[in-house]
Amino acid sequence: MFVFLLTDIFFYIIIFSIGLYIFYVRKTKDILETWKHVFRSRTGIISIVVLSFFLLIAILDSIHIKEKIYNEQTESFSYESEIKSVLDIILLPTYKNYEKSYSSPFSSNLYSKETIILENNIERRVYPKLLYKGNHNKYASDNTANILLTFIISLLKYFFVFSIFYLFFYFRIIFKSKNNIFIPFKLNKVFLMTLSIIVILSIFLYELSLQYYVLGTDKVGVDVLYKSIKSIRTGILIGTLTTIVMLPFAIFLGIFAGYIGGFVDDVIQYIYTTLNSIPSVLLIASAILMLQVYMANNPLNFENIYERADLRLFFLCMILGLTSWTGLCRLLRGESMKLREVEYVQASKTFGLNRFSIIVRHIMPNIMHIVIITIVLDFSALVLAEAVLSYVNIGVDPTTYSWGNMINAARLEMSKEPIVWWSLFSAFTFMFILVLFANLFSDVVRDAFDPRSNKNYE
Amino acid sequence: MLLTQGLIKIMSKLLEVKNLYLSIESENENKILKDINFSINSSEILSLIGESGSGKSLTALSIIRLLEKNCRIKKGKIIFNDTDLLSLEEQNMRLIRKNDISMIFQEPMRSLNPVMSIYDQLLEAYEKESRKKIKRKIIENLISVGIDDASRVIDLFPHQLSGGMKQRVMIAMAIACKPKLLIADEPTTSLDVTIQKQVLDLLLELRNDLNMSILFITHDLAVASQISDNIVVMKEGMVVENSESKKFFENPKSLYSKTLLASSSYNRKNNLTNSLKNNSVLKVNNLKVYFKEKKSFIAQNQDYKKAVDDISISIDAGATHAIVGESGSGKTTIAKAIMGLTEVTDGDIRILDKDILKMEGKEKLNFRKNYQMIFQDPFSSLNPRMRVGSIIKEGLSFLKPYMNTVETNECLKNVIENVGLEESSLYKYPHQFSGGQRQRIAIARVLVLDPRLLICDEPTSSLDVTVQKQVLDLLTEIQTKNQISYLFISHDINLVASISDTLSVMHQGKIVESGKTSDIINNTSNDYTKKLLSSVPQIL
Repeated sequence: MFVFLLTDIFFYIIIFSIGLYIFYVRKTKDILETWKHVFRSRTGIISIVVLSFFLLIAILDSIHIKEKIYNEQTESFSYESEIKSVLDIILLPTYKNYEKSYSSPFSSNLYSKETIILENNIERRVYPKLLYKGNHNKYASDNTANILLTFIISLLKYFFVFSIFYLFFYFRIIFKSKNNIFIPFKLNKVFLMTLSIIVILSIFLYELSLQYYVLGTDKVGVDVLYKSIKSIRTGILIGTLTTIVMLPFAIFLGIFAGYIGGFVDDVIQYIYTTLNSIPSVLLIASAILMLQVYMANNPLNFENIYERADLRLFFLCMILGLTSWTGLCRLLRGESMKLREVEYVQASKTFGLNRFSIIVRHIMPNIMHIVIITIVLDFSALVLAEAVLSYVNIGVDPTTYSWGNMINAARLEMSKEPIVWWSLFSAFTFMFILVLFANLFSDVVRDAFDPRSNKNYE
Repeated sequence: MLLTQGLIKIMSKLLEVKNLYLSIESENENKILKDINFSINSSEILSLIGESGSGKSLTALSIIRLLEKNCRIKKGKIIFNDTDLLSLEEQNMRLIRKNDISMIFQEPMRSLNPVMSIYDQLLEAYEKESRKKIKRKIIENLISVGIDDASRVIDLFPHQLSGGMKQRVMIAMAIACKPKLLIADEPTTSLDVTIQKQVLDLLLELRNDLNMSILFITHDLAVASQISDNIVVMKEGMVVENSESKKFFENPKSLYSKTLLASSSYNRKNNLTNSLKNNSVLKVNNLKVYFKEKKSFIAQNQDYKKAVDDISISIDAGATHAIVGESGSGKTTIAKAIMGLTEVTDGDIRILDKDILKMEGKEKLNFRKNYQMIFQDPFSSLNPRMRVGSIIKEGLSFLKPYMNTVETNECLKNVIENVGLEESSLYKYPHQFSGGQRQRIAIARVLVLDPRLLICDEPTSSLDVTVQKQVLDLLTEIQTKNQISYLFISHDINLVASISDTLSVMHQGKIVESGKTSDIINNTSNDYTKKLLSSVPQIL
């Protein structure tokens, strides 16, 4: 049975609106040209492919299901209380079993010594062997050789998959009677290369994690790689959902303040100056604490732990959105004030257009580039904000997988002797990759949309 | 005798541009300067003339080597005082810029740093010396460019100076090092005619005093004829003509120069003075538009800026009335007041015998189609995100909502052909058109409403001369066909003289003189009008 969590629904809405936007862009020629500029740059293509891959993981992780189980005692079907996502089902081998405690990446033993009683009642301190992975090399007994062989095998698998796709394209092209078998290769080298690297890496990591804990295990023995991958959804959700919350405030208030001016402008400015002068961390902390009190007082409102965690995530997005619209609002106010005096707006006033029509027809389309640039720029900042907030315990629920929580846990791990570094390392790496490519992407988008960039050099 | 003359000529050649080729590396275009050749002798003024995009500024910038990064000089030599500037090291070039070649730019507003006082700005141009000495030098310099109260001016900031003063400061900065060559890139384009005359006189004076050469870049033939010894005409990155000023204006060689000369003096083909009379379309009586000046909260008496002060205008059907004046004289405010874009303080405006200020709501909306406006800058008057078709349709859909789709489309087709564009233009975006074509679209947008009165607010001042002529021709053609009245607003008294039937001269919010155009132009008694007329550069 499908389960729709609150954030899932909003995430679907976001995906749907991205789809709508793509549809709109395809019909509007000048915006299409601008986006083509993004796709023409090498950085643009690479970052789009990487981000799409992250987005795909987040989407897979947002389709939640409850499994049906057969209860032998009552002889009837019932639903499991545990909620799984499609991604969980794909990654099942990596998290199905867990070890006792910490183990370092690719190791075959636990990280700390334990006392083991041998057959003849002799106690000995040893590093116990891992139960499920690390001791089950598939291809060779030597670790290095095994990893190498795994890589080769994943390469082979990739080429197998690739050739199937290639044949698919090839036949499509034959049906369209263009007898050039190299057309698929001519599509776009950068795109194909990036995609190939990602696919090869994914297959390789999957193959490896069947045999090893690639990024080690955490305190309760869960695969850190699995945790990091699950955190992608949280990061992306906070980056996008917050934007959706803040956009209506920023756009409408910004345009009204700038275009109508006068008293309306004063009121809106007053609101955002006030909001800006409250430290946002305090605001977020108080909102989250209030929610926690509410959840503690009304435990019956929530069916299970997932819903509670999900509500908290949703609430965090809301409160982040409410505190972060002021920057964009200010930008849009300025731009609308400028546009108000531009001659085409004056011209349409002489046609007797009312305010609403002028805003929809002339102001909105001409401020959209700022909105897009801000959305893309803000995304990475929000992903980082989540980590910071979770670190001070006012972020997402502790049971939610998130990079912030992992970093928070690493506080203790870093003080251990010997040091447990892989949790922090993997959270950092994943976050770094996502934010890096988001920033690269936003650079390209800004270049394309910013009227002041050199693209239109005359 | 001949030999010595020849020798002197070779000796005194200050700058020589030889076979200059330049290309811009960008994604879409590759505009190029092709084979530019000219030379300037010492203490000579050479005018570089051309329309926008002809490569005048690029040529100037390559001489002083301040080109953008994506510009590449492919071939050629720029020889200044026997050294090839293009082969110089950057640090030596800096010395040349410091001591020998100076440049002044078009926009004095942007060329001065707003947070530095005039003294600080000028200080940069001088060698390190004692403060007293420099200050004396700066004051002397400012006096030499015609700023009499220099000791007061040096403590002011750019925003406290007028446009003409700023340009003088720029010139003072440029001549501080006593350069051998001054490059002036459209130094008077953004100035009013009376100030333009002062600046041109100043440049001529400085040339004689300092013995420097001037490379004067302009699009205005009349200005060029006032100032220059030699003229180089450029078109699409090529030199089309290079001759002595006198010869050029008497007998231009190339076809392009001839069209340029022909376009710069405009004459209306037909004269409408004998057409329908006593049928007033627009009557403005005692119009006043005052703007509140924002002072402090505490100020008791509200100050007003009297943008338009007690003005009366009347236009007959099918006639053209022109308002001429310098910037800030309030001519655009009149247009805005009539169009309802600004609040009217007092007075009444009657169009077709109806008081439009008293009209409200629906009635006003229905009446609006009778009077429309064409704006100055066709680049900002068309929404870049809308197709031409929807831009033209906008007025129709709001002012003639009873039209159905078929009628509307028919209307669009007719009007776009009437302004001389193809039907396919309806599906394009504004950026796909040139300035002149854009102004045609702007005209189509108002023409489609079939107005009785058209307010043209400097409709040609941002266009090149040849394009200007085409747009004016179109406007007169429309006038004869549809009997539309024009209220033509301009700063250019030459242009106004040829296009209008009646004329008002505005100065500081007031009409100083009004009457038949021919009367005013030929024998005016008003001092300001006389000054205006004498400042306008004429082709000699």
